[in-house]
Amino acid sequence: MTLAGTVEGARAMLPLLPGLTVFGMAFGAAAAQRGLSLAEATLFSGAVFAGLAQMATLEAWSEHFTFGALVAIGFLTFAVNLRHVLMAAALRPWLGPLPAWQSYPALLVLADKNWALAMRYHGQGGMDGGYFLGAGLVTWFLWVVGTLAGHLIGGGIPDPKAMGVDLVVPAFYIAMLVPNWRGRRESVAWGVAAAVSIAASVLLPGWWFIVIGAVAGAVAGGFTD
Amino acid sequence: MLSLDPNTLLGIAVVALITALNRMAGFYLMRHVPITPRVRRILDALPGSVLVALLAPGAVRGDLGMMVGLVVAFLAAKLVRNDLVPVAAAMAAAAGLRALMG
Repeated sequence: MTLAGTVEGARAMLPLLPGLTVFGMAFGAAAAQRGLSLAEATLFSGAVFAGLAQMATLEAWSEHFTFGALVAIGFLTFAVNLRHVLMAAALRPWLGPLPAWQSYPALLVLADKNWALAMRYHGQGGMDGGYFLGAGLVTWFLWVVGTLAGHLIGGGIPDPKAMGVDLVVPAFYIAMLVPNWRGRRESVAWGVAAAVSIAASVLLPGWWFIVIGAVAGAVAGGFTD
Repeated sequence: MLSLDPNTLLGIAVVALITALNRMAGFYLMRHVPITPRVRRILDALPGSVLVALLAPGAVRGDLGMMVGLVVAFLAAKLVRNDLVPVAAAMAAAAGLRALMG
């Protein structure tokens, strides 16, 4: 891990600045509506740093947590974040050789967008683990600042759809995917992932479609010789 | 504003702990999985598959602005090797189309 790599990864995240900030703001506003204080909402985003899981558990938030309610939000968190298990597994060949005191703390900033960016970097031959860390730290910072701003502004946030902000993340994913297409294996993997995730999103409740579609696509791609 | 309620802190602690364990578990487990050529190929196919699985259900259910925006992002990513261009072009296309259609 080098400082130069960390800076490079951090800079590469900047196209997502508007998107990440607005989504952080949406969570901050939602948390304010749920009655979380500014300090609580900011701590939530800082300590958890997982938008989907935070939104999902906020829906199931309780004024007085019983043991059962805690188990319920714990399970919900696990289900929504199961994709992180896959994503961290894919980092093993790259970050595995690093000392554990570097790799495990770095994994705490693992999130969808910075992981996607770092995997593209590594797929193109990049080896500096700092790139993953730098991209993650910027994402974390914007998420926390966005939450803070969203809580302060509250309900006055402009409609993200009118400004096309809901396109930021999907368009970024497409920018990650396009240079990674090499041939038949990608066609099979991505085709299966698309078909299975769409089918699962229709048939199953919640967020299972992500993990099911991803595993189906990866296995199909892995067995395409 | 700055109050910290013990009940809320407990909830946050549970979500934070499970999230951290999820992030580390896959990395830890792969220590015990030999990286055979087959495993390697599956791991190589994983990033694209995760992104497609995140994208596809929302894309097929999106409005015209979403669909056109994603096509614009694809074309921009094909043409330019810069991540800001597809993101900005997709936002502009979707925002413009939505403004036109009211």
